[in-house]
Amino acid sequence: MSDEQRRKYSEAEKTAIFDGEFMPHIDSMYNFGYRLTFDEDDAKDLVQDTYLKAYRFINSFEKGTNAKAWLFRILKNSFINEYRKKSKQPAKVDYQEVETYYNSDNVNYQQTSDLRAESVKDMLGDEISNALNSLAVDFRTVIILADLEGFTYEEMSKILDIPIGTVRSRLHRARNLLKVKLKGYAQDMGYETEEEEDL
Amino acid sequence: MDKMEGASEPRKTQCQDTSKCFQLLESILDGELENSKEALKEKLAKCQPCFEHFHLEQAIRDVLKNKCTKQQLPPSLAESIRSKIQEMK
Repeated sequence: MSDEQRRKYSEAEKTAIFDGEFMPHIDSMYNFGYRLTFDEDDAKDLVQDTYLKAYRFINSFEKGTNAKAWLFRILKNSFINEYRKKSKQPAKVDYQEVETYYNSDNVNYQQTSDLRAESVKDMLGDEISNALNSLAVDFRTVIILADLEGFTYEEMSKILDIPIGTVRSRLHRARNLLKVKLKGYAQDMGYETEEEEDL
Repeated sequence: MDKMEGASEPRKTQCQDTSKCFQLLESILDGELENSKEALKEKLAKCQPCFEHFHLEQAIRDVLKNKCTKQQLPPSLAESIRSKIQEMK
């Protein structure tokens, strides 16, 4: 980035941006961190790290633009670059591989679930959360960004550094995986699903 | 939306092109298509698989948005961040 592009904010401006545009998102950031790591301390570290980086690189943030997406992108990168490296968690599905297989043009939008809307509506928060948490991190991430945080495909594309078509296909696939989990819960609860007769 | 206004015939039980339709419905639900209300209404009135898929996808988005357990922000976190930033200055 050239010096010309670098906006030099005064200390007062930096503080105003930090307090006015960055800090209001701390709650969402912490929940994002927690949903990635399932650990309070790791989530705290990720959020703190993100905010320190945000402050250090505040000159590359354009005042008044999408601070939430910018912060989420930093957190996601910190998670991938630092947390995942030191984490003892076994490697999850390498999903560039998954992505190559299910790339945007090859996604098949068929009916993949006999889950009923009514049984989904009756599910408890814990069941929904457990189903979401059971997904591989990369699928979990797109659902968090789209459905919990309300980001658009375009914003997600920037946060995740992937093309919009890939956002769409990954999200579709993630929700299908979620449906499979939810269907399991629905059957456990004794809700009728269309497939039951065939089981 | 559930009402079949002016439609005397029942919804089709088979969708001609679920791949195309479902992708369209999901994009609409994700807010990625503008001015899609009329087309959506017509589609849902005519096709049972589309109708069911739309409502299931909508229900899933709704429960995710409204029912997922939220973590309480640790009370000291914001303060700790601010003090670390003071040290950086």
